[in-house]
Amino acid sequence: MILPLADVPAPHIDYKGLSPLIALVGGTVLVLMAALLRGRFVQRSLLPLLTLGTLGAAMGLSIWVWSPGDHRPIVESALEVDALALSLSLVFYVAGIATVLLAHRSAALSDAGAGEYYTLLLSSVTGMVLLAEAANLITLFVGIELLSIPLYVLCASQVRRRASLEAGLKYLVIGSVGSATLLYGLALIYGAAGTTSFAGIDRALGDTVSLSDPLLLTGIALACAGLAFKASVAPFHQWTPDVYQGAPTPVTAFMAVATKAAAFAIFLRLFDSALLSAQFQWAPALAALATITIVVGNVGAIAQDSLKRMLAWSGVAQAGYILAGVVVGTQKGLEATVFYLLVYLLMNVAAFAVVIARERVSEWGDGMRALEGLGRAAPWLAWPMTIAMLALAGFPATAGFIGKFYLIDAAVDGDYAWLGVVIVAGSMISLVYYLRVVAVMWMGPMEVRLPSLPGRPRTAKPVGGWSPEADAWAQPEVTLVAVACAAATMFFGIWPNPLFDLVADVGTSLASLVG
Amino acid sequence: MVLRDIVFFLAAIGALAGALGVVMLRNPFYSVLSLVGHLLSLAILFLLLSSEFLAAAQLVVYAGAVMVLYVFVVAYIGGADEPLGPAVPAVGAFGPLVAAALCGELFFAFIGSGLEALDSRGAHVSPGFGSPGQIGSLLLRNFLIPFEAASFLLLVAAVGALVLARRRRGIDDEEGGARVDTIGHARAHGSEPAPAEPVAPGVER
Repeated sequence: MILPLADVPAPHIDYKGLSPLIALVGGTVLVLMAALLRGRFVQRSLLPLLTLGTLGAAMGLSIWVWSPGDHRPIVESALEVDALALSLSLVFYVAGIATVLLAHRSAALSDAGAGEYYTLLLSSVTGMVLLAEAANLITLFVGIELLSIPLYVLCASQVRRRASLEAGLKYLVIGSVGSATLLYGLALIYGAAGTTSFAGIDRALGDTVSLSDPLLLTGIALACAGLAFKASVAPFHQWTPDVYQGAPTPVTAFMAVATKAAAFAIFLRLFDSALLSAQFQWAPALAALATITIVVGNVGAIAQDSLKRMLAWSGVAQAGYILAGVVVGTQKGLEATVFYLLVYLLMNVAAFAVVIARERVSEWGDGMRALEGLGRAAPWLAWPMTIAMLALAGFPATAGFIGKFYLIDAAVDGDYAWLGVVIVAGSMISLVYYLRVVAVMWMGPMEVRLPSLPGRPRTAKPVGGWSPEADAWAQPEVTLVAVACAAATMFFGIWPNPLFDLVADVGTSLASLVG
Repeated sequence: MVLRDIVFFLAAIGALAGALGVVMLRNPFYSVLSLVGHLLSLAILFLLLSSEFLAAAQLVVYAGAVMVLYVFVVAYIGGADEPLGPAVPAVGAFGPLVAAALCGELFFAFIGSGLEALDSRGAHVSPGFGSPGQIGSLLLRNFLIPFEAASFLLLVAAVGALVLARRRRGIDDEEGGARVDTIGHARAHGSEPAPAEPVAPGVER
């Protein structure tokens, strides 16, 4: 029998639109191959540089591909390279670059092997980009798995520390439950709508499928729960503090910003584009989840002594704020969500960079006391942390304020004014724990008294767990990340127009949304 | 037609009983065997839906390859007399409640849409639907990107498994200071990071 090979025409592939993904996959394989070379130079310098180069190239290509308002699905409607996907891709690349810098001296890097560590990081970024560009349910699921599986391993990559292994296992088990729930939900949505493409689901909902179809509603509920696991939205957030605390801190920083952005990218795509016709069905549920998340996250953060746990709870609360932008289902909500994800990246990476710098030298580890007296001892670390905390709390003149303002504005505009009130109330509670960090840094007791030598009084830098390495510039790359992110937070707080221009492009990317 | 119905109900009961067995049986080995029974019943259901290729793939891949792996792992680790850990009290009380709610919701969803379809002939499928040719064409055309991404995912998962499995032996003698890891070079705990070992051959595929 002659196989009818000729009747299968090759799909049209838009290589330009696909180029950032090609760069990422190619770079990942390159890093994996280069890791075969032994030698200090390759392992310590070449691999990080290759990883940074890959991320940089992908970022450059994303900017090259950028064309606002153009949403043309590529490769047989598997991917949608629009402004929403590209702008969130920038978040993933910047988070990836920051993670490479932050992890440069981390124990996890040598435990896991540099090549493998960077390979996993790059493949997770690839999964996130795939997820943000997903235009059908299959790509969505493969993307979320490609994002998660490397992260499970990265969480456990500090294999000699029990907490890290525990974090990896916990994340694996709970993440798998989340993925399974999501997959079940997606299968039911496919069953109801009869198609896997987002555009097709949108058409089917307006046309053949009844909005009260129990199959569809169950599918939406399960998909929502599955995504809530990934975005650590309460009550699916239980894993967050343990995993954030146990995982190596650079990985935690990456998870906190990039995974959250990826989860919200797909929240936006699935709910605000494919399922927008069913908004009356899902919006009240999501609004309730957002409210619970804001309350639980903010209250949970108050009692934390570990900075990583505190940031984890604060991340839960922030997920609630961001969810408000998804709930309203308007163009403004979309813009506000993307804006907040962009500034969330800056504030959180700055905070985590300071935690990493202190955790490596302080005897208190990631405890609150590690920051004691930091204001006087290491202002280059104390200022970024202060700015990050104030921005997360939403103080004016920081980007966090504008982001929160944008979200509240979107909520009020979309007839969810009460959700705006909840955001404000949540922010007020959050001042308790954000300001406590600032207070510890600038008003912390000076516990270390060094005997002064005769003739020359000795000025020590008595940070909690004092050591010569407490100097901020002993780890220049970490301090650099902290200072750069904090400076950007301030810059966009005072002059947010570049970000406004960017999200204005994003606003037009989902055709289903009205202005 | 009657024979079809009889086979359907036998396979459906087999699938349900197998799934229940996986959860209810205390011995992990029996659980795995029960899962094999469940997957075989599913393959029969696929046959009834005239998707022969899917049924064959189910048999070869799941009941054949994947389950053999499960059986090996369970047999290797043992655990036949390992009690399943005690549930946390508070969560233990809350869990069945939530599970029952989800079960009820799914029940309504399926009864709701299933009853309508009971008397109909089901969805219309074109003659070649589910044939290897069509699946191949779908994989290489419409779902080319997910297909390629899935293969990339397998590569990444292999790398991840390697990262986790490689150092395992060093964990227990952590307190012992210097140790010899599995690759064979000694190094002190907390020393300078050594160059990573080459990846095992075959991973790059």
